[in-house]
Parts: sequence; C-alpha cells; structure tokens
Amino acid sequence: MRQLRSWVVGACVGFGRACVVLLVSMLVPAVWAAAVGLWLWWGGNPWSWIAPFVWAIIGTLALARPVCRMFRSLVAKWTGHTIPAGYREPGPIVRMANGYWWNGYSYERTSRDAHRDQRLRTWWHDPATWRDLRFVALAPVTVGVVAAIPPAGVVAAVLGFSQPTLAARLVGVLGVVVAIRSAPHAWRPVAPVAARFLGASAAVALADRVDELTTQRADLTVAQAAEIRRIERDLHDGAQARLVALGLSLATAEKLMDTNPEQAKALLRDARVGAATSLTELRELVRGINPPVLTERGLVDAVRVLALDSPLETEVSADLQVRLDPPIESAVYFGVSELLANAVKHARATHARISITQDDTGLVVVVEDNGRGGAEVRPGGGLAGLRRRLAVFDGTCEVTSPAGGPTRARMVVPCASL
Amino acid sequence: MRIVVAEDLYLLRDGLVRLIEAYGHQVVATPTTGPETLDALLTWRPDVSVVDVRMPPTQSDEGLRAALAARRELPGLPILILSQHVQQLYARELLADGVGGVGYLLKESVFDADQFIDALERVAGGGTAMDPAVISKLLSSGSASRRLDRLDRLTEREHSVLGLMAEGLSNQAIAQRLFLSESAISKYTTSLFGKLGLGDDDNSNRRVLAVLAYLNNA
Repeated sequence: MRQLRSWVVGACVGFGRACVVLLVSMLVPAVWAAAVGLWLWWGGNPWSWIAPFVWAIIGTLALARPVCRMFRSLVAKWTGHTIPAGYREPGPIVRMANGYWWNGYSYERTSRDAHRDQRLRTWWHDPATWRDLRFVALAPVTVGVVAAIPPAGVVAAVLGFSQPTLAARLVGVLGVVVAIRSAPHAWRPVAPVAARFLGASAAVALADRVDELTTQRADLTVAQAAEIRRIERDLHDGAQARLVALGLSLATAEKLMDTNPEQAKALLRDARVGAATSLTELRELVRGINPPVLTERGLVDAVRVLALDSPLETEVSADLQVRLDPPIESAVYFGVSELLANAVKHARATHARISITQDDTGLVVVVEDNGRGGAEVRPGGGLAGLRRRLAVFDGTCEVTSPAGGPTRARMVVPCASL
Repeated sequence: MRIVVAEDLYLLRDGLVRLIEAYGHQVVATPTTGPETLDALLTWRPDVSVVDVRMPPTQSDEGLRAALAARRELPGLPILILSQHVQQLYARELLADGVGGVGYLLKESVFDADQFIDALERVAGGGTAMDPAVISKLLSSGSASRRLDRLDRLTEREHSVLGLMAEGLSNQAIAQRLFLSESAISKYTTSLFGKLGLGDDDNSNRRVLAVLAYLNNA
C-alpha cells in the first residue's frame, strides 16, 4: 500500500516536472511559432516576413539567458547538482578626470550610458551567450521531446475517450498507459543534458582557477611576510641581544681576570647561563619554524611526538609508507598541532585520536577528540589559517563539531606522489 | 677510556675532542657521517662514544639510527647521544632494549664540563644519563597519566628524587643536588620504590633502569 502511494506520488511529481520542462524548453519555439503565424496572417506581401523574423531573433536573444537560468535552477532544485553558470562579470566603471565614464570598452558621457553600453558589450562578447543560444536551440528537440511524452499521452487519452469508435478508445487506453509509465522518468534527461551543454566552458573554468590561485598567492605572501617578521623580531630581541650581553660579560671578565678573579668567575658563570638560555630560545624558535623531528623522521613520527608531548591521552594510527614532500608534511603537521591545541584549549578534551592514511586520491588525516565541540571556522582564526595553509596544496579541512562534542576534523591533501 | 666522537660540525667536534682529551681520555675515531659512525662503533668497540643525531648524508636522524644499529649488533655498547633538541620519542627508542649504557643529552650540557664528563663516565660504566627535559616529559606525558594514580601518591620530594634518579644520578649525586644527606635519599628511594611496586636493587644502574623502564612503558 505504502509502495503504491509512493509510486503514485513519484508519478505525479514526475508529471509536474515534465510539464515544467516542456513549458520552459518550448518558450523560444513558441516565439518562432508566433512569428510564423504572424507572417502567414499578414501573407501576400513578399517582404512581410521581415518584421516577424526580426522580432523572433530579438525574442530568442532576450530569452536565451533567462531560459538557461531557469534550467540551471530547476536542475539544482531537483537533483541538488549545481551547474556553474560561468557568465562573464562586468568590470568596474570609473569616472575619468575629464568627466567621462570609462567602462572597459568605451567612454560614455553619463554613468547610465556607460552601464548600459557595458552590459550590452559584455553580453555580446561573452562566450556563454553563444553557449546559451546553442542550448535553447537544442533543448526543444532533446529534453523537450522527452518531457512531452506524458502530457501527449494525457492529450491522446482525452481525445480518444471523447470519440465513440473502438479504435479511438484503444488509442486513449494506450495514451493513459504511456502517460503513467513515462511520468516518473520523462523529466530526467534534463540533468545530464544541462550538465553537458550548460556548464562553464574550459576557458571560464580556467579563469576561475586563476582567480582562486591569485587570491591564495596573495594570502600566502601576506602570511609569509608576517612569519618572517615574527622570526626576525624573535631573533632580534632574543638570541641576538643575549649574544651581545654574552660578549660584554666575557670582555668584562677578561678585564677583571687579573685584578678581581672572583668577580671574573661570577661573570663567566653568568655568561654560561646566558648562552644556555639563548640556546633554549633558539630551539623554541626553530621548533616553530620547522620541528626537527619532521626533518629527521617525517610526518608520522613527528605527529607521534606531538601526541607524546600533548597533555591529552592521544592514540596515533598511521598507514603511510612514503615520505611526502616537505612542504606538505609541514602543513599537515602544523594542522594536527593546531587541532590538538584546540582540543586542549577550547574543547577541554581528555582523549584524542589521530589517524593518518593514504588512499588513491591522497593523504587523509583525521583528528578526533572527546571535547565539548562547538568549534567553528572564523576568519582570521586558527582553523581558517589551517585551511589557508592546506589550500596551497589543494587540500581541504572539514570540521564537524556539534555543540556538546565530539569534534572531528578531516584533512585531505591530494598527492601526486602517492 | 677510548672514545669515539661522531659529529659532523667541525667546531663542535674539535671542541668535544679537546674537552675529552683535557680530562685525560683518548679519542680514537671521529666519524662525520652515519655510515662512518656505524663502522667506527663496530670496529673500535669504544668504551663510550658521543654521537650526534643529525648527520650527513641525509641530514636526518643518521646518527641515532647508527647508534641503535650498533647497539643491536653489540648489546649494551655505551653510547651518549648529543643533540640540539631532545625528544621523548627518541629517548623511548634508546631505552627500549632495557640494557643501559645509554645517554641522551642536549648539546649545551657540555657547558658544565665536569658534569658532562661525569655523565660520559656513567654511561661508560653501564649507567644512564638522561636530559632533565626528557625526564620531565616522561613523567608528565599524556600516556603516563594512566599511571598518574601511582605517581600521584608520591610526595613532592619523592617526585623530584624520582626525576633525578631517572636522569641517571647516583644517591650521592642526588643528595648533593637536593642538599640532603645520602641516608635521607636512600629512605626516599626505598619508599618510592615501594609505592611504584618496583623491586629495590642495590645496584644503582639496575635500579635506574627499572625506573626508566617504568616510565617508558607508562
């Protein structure tokens, strides 16, 4: 019973969708049909086709983009699959010193003219416009025809049953069967056809990628500069200053060696303590730049060291035979470090589990804790920085952290070397 | 003593050799790469050797691996690892065989020449010399917290005695560090061994190894 009901619902929804697809795909053909009708109606005059033809062309050009937008939104709504539109964005419009407006193509006297001119030219030069036109020509004969089957069956049934002859009734029955059988499926070709013919072209996809990479490079440059400034400051205020003090102590001790050996000895002791302290500082600094264990042992052992040094009870399971590129190792290492620190600091966790695995796409690192959750990615926060570091390698970090916990972070880095 | 010094940086190697010779010991070989180190350790069988962790050709943990390989060949071969940084992980690997005759110190431990030579001699005698940083990490590491119920029962004084003992110091040396009498220290050790459930042993080396094994397995 329930099965029957769900089938009926499916058929009704399918029928509705088929009608919508049919309607949208037939908009442009309807314009042309109207133009032909107008021409026949005027008739006689050998030039009377010109006006309807021009009207049909203008109508097609005006309708192409809205129709394609409708198809995209229908596909997104029904299948959840988003098709990137890839329309060219208009550039900025600037006012020149002489009072004219420059829109990237021409000078205009007013801002409104500049906008209108730019809209038209961007539309005309956009390769997506031609792709849209191709699609509106293609849609009626592909998805339109298929989507027309259920409504056509219904029409046949209505016409057939209204006639008294047996043959007509048979046609009516056939129409009902066709309509019912095809209803759940008739709208489905719209998804693959739209994905194939409505997607952004390779050039546009590349342009988007270039934009993304440009942003990343800018981010990275800023982050790198900040990091270098931090290192410089640490060295300047720390080790460098201590070495100066050390030199001073030694020079004074040398001077006092003969006259006041006791004080000289004390100074030498101070110098030794100073040297040890600056070594400790340098070690901390080095660990922040690139942890020595990472260089010496690679990612897995470096993460083991993190786990050993963490106040959490941390399990590490690793299945990774190869050494990765050092920059990737470093990014993932600092990612795990950040996540563990968050688990201690924000989530108040007591246990954590880290797993490092590889599959055919790349490296997968999962960090889970038993804390109170509620972690979110804030701009400028630690998790955002983590994502930025991974994005350089096209890596991603998904964090699921419901309030009350637990938090689970999954870092994926595609690696060609695996 | 016949000593091998494996260190790739010239300044440090030279300084170490001069320091060791100033105390009347003999440096028999100064290898500068991982394979050379393994070779020198196995052919010379030195009384003790000083080995750097990071060495050519790969500039990774060549020295440490050479030391571990040599100790697999010749169990108990006394080796003191000197490094710019100390890691629990490496300490655990060095202690894993439970034989003793190992040391793991930061390079700046040579600043106090007397203590450094003392540590070297201790390792040569089959004892241990662990950096305080490693010991404090072993005592407080996440996995050790499982044993915290036991370590928690120690008094503060017993805790510090345990730490110093794990570094490899004798009762006498611990007494000096804590400004206490030797008999007081032996009282503390007896009570903390009881609390940890370890058998007390007159041989201080074996006793230290028991402590390290305890911390390492925690």
